[in-house]
Amino acid sequence: MSIWNYVVTAHKPTNVTHSCVGNFTSPQDLNLIIAKCTRVEIHLLTPQGLQPMLDVPIYGRIATLELFRSHGEAQDFLFIATERYKFCVLQWDSETSELVTRAMGDVSDRIGRATDNGQIGIIDPDCRLIGLHLYDGLFKVIPFDNRGQLKEAFNIRLEELQVLDIKFLYGCSKPTIVVLYQDNKDARHAKTYEVSLKDKDFVEGPWSQNNLDNGADLLIPVPPPLCGVLIIGEETIVYCSANAFKAIPIRPSITKAYGRVDPDGSRYLLGDHTGLLSLLVITHEKEKVTGLKIEPLGETSIASTISYLDNAFVYIGSSYGDSQLIKLNQQPDAKGSYVEVLERYVNLGPIVDFCVVDLERQGQGQVVTCSGAYKDGSLRVVRNGIGINEQASVELQGIKGMWSLRSSTDDLFDTFLVVSFISETRILAMNLEDELEETEIEGFCSQVQSLSCHDAVHNQLVQVTSSSVRLVSSTTRELRNEWHAPSGYSINVATANATQVLLATGGGHLVYLEIGDGILQEIKHAQLEYEISCLDINPIGENPNHSNLAAVGMWTDISVRIFSLPDLNLITKEPLGGEIIPRSVLLCAFEGISYLLCALGDGHLLNFLLNTSTGELTDRKKVSLGTQPITLRTFSSKNTTHVFAASDRPTVIYSSNKKLLYSNVNLKEVSHMCPFNSAAFPDSLAIAKEGELTIGTIDDIQKLHIRSIPLGEHARRICHQEQSRTFAICSLKYNPSAEEPETHFVRLLDDQTFEFISTYPLDTYEYGCFIISCSFSDDSNVYYCVGTAYVLPEENEPSKGRILVFAVEDGKLQLIAEKETKGAVYCLNAFNGKLLAAINQKIQLYKWVLRDDGTHELQSECGHHGHILALYVQTRGDFIVVGDLMKSISLLIYKHEEGAIEERARDYNANWMSAVEILDDDIYLGAENSFNLFTVRKNSEGATDEERGRLEVVGEYHLGEFINRFRHGSLVMRLPDSEVGQIPTVIFGTINGVIGVIASLPHDQYVFLEKLQSSLRKVIKGVGGLSHEQWRSFSNDKKTVEARNFLDGDLIESFLDLNRNKMDEVSQAVGVSVEELCKRVEELTRLH
Amino acid sequence: MDSVLGNWPSYDPHNFSQLRTSDPSRSSKMAPATYHSIHNRDVPPADQVINTEHKNILLREIYRRAEEKIDLIALPSPSQLTPKRAASDNLIPEHGSKQPRVST
Repeated sequence: MSIWNYVVTAHKPTNVTHSCVGNFTSPQDLNLIIAKCTRVEIHLLTPQGLQPMLDVPIYGRIATLELFRSHGEAQDFLFIATERYKFCVLQWDSETSELVTRAMGDVSDRIGRATDNGQIGIIDPDCRLIGLHLYDGLFKVIPFDNRGQLKEAFNIRLEELQVLDIKFLYGCSKPTIVVLYQDNKDARHAKTYEVSLKDKDFVEGPWSQNNLDNGADLLIPVPPPLCGVLIIGEETIVYCSANAFKAIPIRPSITKAYGRVDPDGSRYLLGDHTGLLSLLVITHEKEKVTGLKIEPLGETSIASTISYLDNAFVYIGSSYGDSQLIKLNQQPDAKGSYVEVLERYVNLGPIVDFCVVDLERQGQGQVVTCSGAYKDGSLRVVRNGIGINEQASVELQGIKGMWSLRSSTDDLFDTFLVVSFISETRILAMNLEDELEETEIEGFCSQVQSLSCHDAVHNQLVQVTSSSVRLVSSTTRELRNEWHAPSGYSINVATANATQVLLATGGGHLVYLEIGDGILQEIKHAQLEYEISCLDINPIGENPNHSNLAAVGMWTDISVRIFSLPDLNLITKEPLGGEIIPRSVLLCAFEGISYLLCALGDGHLLNFLLNTSTGELTDRKKVSLGTQPITLRTFSSKNTTHVFAASDRPTVIYSSNKKLLYSNVNLKEVSHMCPFNSAAFPDSLAIAKEGELTIGTIDDIQKLHIRSIPLGEHARRICHQEQSRTFAICSLKYNPSAEEPETHFVRLLDDQTFEFISTYPLDTYEYGCFIISCSFSDDSNVYYCVGTAYVLPEENEPSKGRILVFAVEDGKLQLIAEKETKGAVYCLNAFNGKLLAAINQKIQLYKWVLRDDGTHELQSECGHHGHILALYVQTRGDFIVVGDLMKSISLLIYKHEEGAIEERARDYNANWMSAVEILDDDIYLGAENSFNLFTVRKNSEGATDEERGRLEVVGEYHLGEFINRFRHGSLVMRLPDSEVGQIPTVIFGTINGVIGVIASLPHDQYVFLEKLQSSLRKVIKGVGGLSHEQWRSFSNDKKTVEARNFLDGDLIESFLDLNRNKMDEVSQAVGVSVEELCKRVEELTRLH
Repeated sequence: MDSVLGNWPSYDPHNFSQLRTSDPSRSSKMAPATYHSIHNRDVPPADQVINTEHKNILLREIYRRAEEKIDLIALPSPSQLTPKRAASDNLIPEHGSKQPRVST
């Protein structure tokens, strides 16, 4: 049963909705603050650029984000209001690096009609009050007292019902707003009101301006000394104040965002719907406005917000494309643009559709999204894990170990790659043609297996075999010294660095040697009570060539021990528990923190914080990486050290914000890895896997990789066809200057190169609504089926559409059949060898019929009426689940014998659906347009027809995201033998660019995690005092109820970010050890 | 163009001075740390938990008018204002239809 669901974000929202600049983190710091719907990002302006400081989750969808400076304060406060009528005022405490809530509250009214044009939140420039326009006909005031404290809010009746914008005017003795509104004849006017705090009412303001531009939509208040307001229309821009009125015509455009440049308000940046950035200048003589001027500067992403930062740098936040950091140049470039794009910040939003494919055929899903809109439309390939880009490979069986060596101590690059086998050691080197060829190091013993090799000081190399340690000159390649194991003992394990060798022989003998110039000196010997299974002396202290500590893993008592060097004194003994011996230990340091990693024979990895002066091990954590023994090795990429864990599930361990993270490597099984940084293959890794030695470079170390394929047009539907190795998309191209501003296409793309290989233009007014790849009974071919609609300006609802059936022949889309429909084809499904279409109110089944002339046609078989609009359809066997425009989910069944489709059950709630998916035979998942998720259950065991005809709501949850699409699949490689591999998952994509995962958990795990979640709520509090419980409660126009049978994975996984004290607190509340909690939560992070 | 495109405001002339212009086709990768509120200052002082006054906007208006009128009655210059009619002057409602019919 898929009732118990875990919802987690794999890719956070990237749609930038608000931004502002001010001194937030200290009076001297200049910060850029960005809202990405449910998250706030705080950046610091530095000489190096924008430095990200914090990503703050907010328990609400941000409707307003404003910085303001209260009286007598040295730094700004942040005002945030959410769409569910909560607000908070945040202050940054730079001493503790904490966000402190100065004020918060609920500004909802029991009665009131929410505004159509979104909420407006504004702060008086003289900080006398906060103004909110949340409901039609009401203006809410939260007054400040003279100490900057907020007082009880009150409402004022606002006569204007269709408000387009409200702003405070500068330089008014009483707080004064200007309201831009539309009257009931659709004419637009601006009017001013003074807010009388004493009377709690409006007083007629100093001026009003009637009959503005019909497209006037935006007010820009102008600061002193000029004061007044700019009214931005589609064809004119007007400056208005009590004693001046100036207007200029502009090229028709819709201004989406503005940013003030000068503190005196004489220049503004305007961004329009086509991504054109313009500079609006108010010309003035002293305080008298003499005119307006507008200059186009160049193209950016379509802006939703513009913030002037400093020194001609500007942040462009976008909802439709990547956000950007741009510089305004004084001279135009070759294309005449004054805009230089310096950085791009990925934005996947809006994800209109996506598909899950395995392009590299590695058994791992990748998500290909239709992202962005208008000219910024693109496809994005989102892949979890770290890829290895193969440079060279050679077939080599039975590799037992690998080490890279330099030809001299000062050499920057590695020359030799030592590959050890069970009974020999072979040496590979790069020749002059940059090819890897076999060579010899005369001083090495090549007839036996090597246990360890290393570069050593004084141009030397070290080789450890089972019988001896050999010190060899790297220049002459001749043996300089050799240390022999005592007779009767053979060396089992060994490790080395540039000046030290530590080895263990049978019988628990631990021997410590030091390397001199031409000499190997045995310094210390210790006899341990059990056999030694693994060793490490990787230097993590100040001296990169020498370690003061040795880590030793033991058989029998299953422990890991820390010894001091050179005296081999036991400092710490840490029993590991269990019966699995440690197979690899590693001392390492990330971001200045030292760790001991200890890998077990069953694929588990333990990590400890290591105190390098005392050798103490603390904060033990355990994660499961795979099922086979793990070998740990460090490597460097982009000057940062990471650890590679070779096993059946290779993993890179790295540190971000002082937290260890584990990212899958997109390879199946790796037995050994060593860094191989040669001149020909810089920063590469040598990887031994499945009878093959590969040299490859590694991707950037991060969890999700996103590749952008800009289309220059808006892709709305995507579908992959395995057989033809193609993608097909429905897209539209905007061309505002043409007679028909939109043209719609069906396009075919190669699934490797993502190039357009074939295009089928749709008719005028014809929109591509849906696309699937499917095949029919009695026909072995695979087709792309496209559903379309003719969207005529005079029709409210399309009355005509088409189903087009294409075959891919020689890389071209060939139209095989077409069928006219009586409405828009919103959805298509392959169904029992036939085609099931959702056409306006109807579900219609078509069969694929062979005509006498050998061609095929779609023939209507049966249908089912009874929807408002059947928008989303999923099928399973003979069952059909329909998501309706406004009538929630219904379940239909196809009856073969009767050739009929009948309704079996429905959810009687009035949910306006945005996506549906079938989780299993009985449980269906829905997303609706108030940003909620819910599940319904088919009630087959109901006693009466009435009961059976009702889909029971079993789960409810507020996601806070608008989901456009669900798809079964996984972003990570699923190993059948791992626990997580058994959990079915659904991926979703949202308007804000979120990719999320819904995992259906077993009941016991759900119960456990629910307990953890409620404990975490008490420890991790909502920023601004916002409540997690309220945030996740299912809420739409009709009802608000507590979330049930859904868990917030983002909250649960933030357990791993907590410090030890807080982890202990949670652990005590849940009654499970920290180690166990970490392991279980870490496993969940591997779902995405 | 130069006249309007120069002289950009500068808060700190050092800001962005050492910006390394990476390839703009590659996206910026730096991810900030996620903030978790684990202290006790997430709740503001009690007087800073703000709600809207309970009095309905219509009732407030009615009370306000009533108060204004009381004030006006208290004023000693009734000639400028229409004083409230005393109830005793007009006991018969204007709408006679709501009276019981005498004819029946």
